[in-house]
Amino acid sequence: MARTLASPGSGQRDQNRLLLIATRRSFTLIVYALLIALAFSMIFPYLWMLANSFKSRTDFFTNPYSVIPMPPTLSTYYDALTIGRMGVYLGNSILYAAVVLIVQLFIDSLAAYSFARVDFPGRETLFLAVLATLMLPGSVTLIPTFLIAHGLGLTNTFTGVVLPGFAGAFGIFLLRQFFLNIPRELEDAARIDGSGFFGTYWRIMLPLAKPAMVTLGVFIFLNEWSSFVWPLIILSDWKKYPVTVGIALFRDVNQINWPAVFAGSTIVSFPIVILFVLAQEYIIGGISLSGLKG
Amino acid sequence: MTTLAQPSPPVQSRASRQRELWKRVRKTWPGYLFISPAGLLITVFSYIAIIFSLYISFYQYDIISEARPFEGLENYTRALNDKLVRTSFRNTFVYVIVIVPSITIFSLLLAVLGNQVRRGRALFRTVFFIPTITPVVVTSMLWVWLYEPTGGINRLLQMVNVEGPNWLFNPSTALPAIMIMTIWGAVGYYMIIFLAGLAEIPEVFYEAAKVDGAGRWHTFWRITIPLLRNSLIFAFVTLTIAAFQVFTQVFIMTQGGPMNSTQTVQMVVYHYAFQRFQMGYASAISWMLFGVIFFFSALQLKLFISRELY
Repeated sequence: MARTLASPGSGQRDQNRLLLIATRRSFTLIVYALLIALAFSMIFPYLWMLANSFKSRTDFFTNPYSVIPMPPTLSTYYDALTIGRMGVYLGNSILYAAVVLIVQLFIDSLAAYSFARVDFPGRETLFLAVLATLMLPGSVTLIPTFLIAHGLGLTNTFTGVVLPGFAGAFGIFLLRQFFLNIPRELEDAARIDGSGFFGTYWRIMLPLAKPAMVTLGVFIFLNEWSSFVWPLIILSDWKKYPVTVGIALFRDVNQINWPAVFAGSTIVSFPIVILFVLAQEYIIGGISLSGLKG
Repeated sequence: MTTLAQPSPPVQSRASRQRELWKRVRKTWPGYLFISPAGLLITVFSYIAIIFSLYISFYQYDIISEARPFEGLENYTRALNDKLVRTSFRNTFVYVIVIVPSITIFSLLLAVLGNQVRRGRALFRTVFFIPTITPVVVTSMLWVWLYEPTGGINRLLQMVNVEGPNWLFNPSTALPAIMIMTIWGAVGYYMIIFLAGLAEIPEVFYEAAKVDGAGRWHTFWRITIPLLRNSLIFAFVTLTIAAFQVFTQVFIMTQGGPMNSTQTVQMVVYHYAFQRFQMGYASAISWMLFGVIFFFSALQLKLFISRELY
């Protein structure tokens, strides 16, 4: 069978095979070329930002698109930290992100544990009520959230910035999903040892949920660090601005000093890049999960 | 330990059912305690907020004066005749119609291409993802600089002998400029979504297609696309909801100008609420936007779900 197939035009077949390999190779080559070009377009604005952040103003005006500063200077960073007050903003942002991170992780995980494991009457309905808020567009809750914060006397305060971020429906959903997959036997053992609900949550479930907590934590941090509209609205005193509002203000009053603005932008992006390098797998895993659940 | 739950009798009186319920509540009351911090915050900042927002949309409401007269539908009819509001809705529609398919198609393409290569896949993924995690404020400022008349974009265009416009100061190019930047910033995120979706497709399908002698193109349309259905729905719906509320890019790059060519609904809501303090009127506009978003999300879900699984 094989021989009869191979014998008549085996030369022709070899040629076809070669052609196939050649087209496959060239296809791969084109794919690589495309991907590299696209990757370049993604990364190049950042390389420019980084390069320009080390340029003196004269160097910047003569060669704004060179990627090597001649000579490199740190005065731009000095300007960003002093004139641009980036130091103050950076401190504020770290504080906001840290507080929201810790409080939201606690509140979300406690609620998620309860929804996953404590069989209280009305549980399903209440959980649906939490999930439903994921559908609310932020634009429609912005004004009333401001008015409520205003009514509570929280405008222009640290508390006002962080309070609405203390609970998240997405976080509760994500952690509940994770808790549901933890085998019940582990808790039963703890219950027999006389642990209450809180003890089980704190000593058994929380340590087991570490990967999910890290994923959620990274998302909360990134979200809070990038948050712009809410602090812009709730704050009126620059001493309390986070980096996002601060850098926008700095650019507004300092249009000409681009290198210092770039230095400031680099400062804003730096913690994010570090976090991304450290937690890349968690971030990508978390995003993949949200897509698959959709 | 000894009183294990006995199978309940088929017919129960109301009183015994109530007793049963009470027993459950007594045993599980910490459950309510645990959800109460989250519950309180979500009640206040989502449920009370949205009702409050609807309520004040029928009033003339600002935070300064005490007088808050009832206006009925006045705010809504005013919005329908407000030129700024109409312009902003038109711009937002154009923005959504361009952005949503573009990001979906480009990120899908990136994912499929990225899946073809073995070497350097992780590196590509990382690089494409960087714009996604950088705060929009920063990427917007970066692009303001790239869009300058003699900026990076126009220099690139010059290389192919095209005279670039003054992107952000020309009413016909300002909105496209913002759209290009947004597409650039978002494809990495949805690429991850699609890569995850692609990884879920069993290899067997592709092998079967190969045995049947199906080409790349055919395989893509007949296997990849249908099996990526969930990821595609997710991308389309979340993108639409987000795109309708675009704000930060516009705020940083153009402030709605030139000549209102980049005014979006959320910009106008911000303008009326926090620059002119007409909270009632701004809430009415935000409810109109909510209505539009709700309509389109429902429509999309209906369209997608009515097409049965393969």
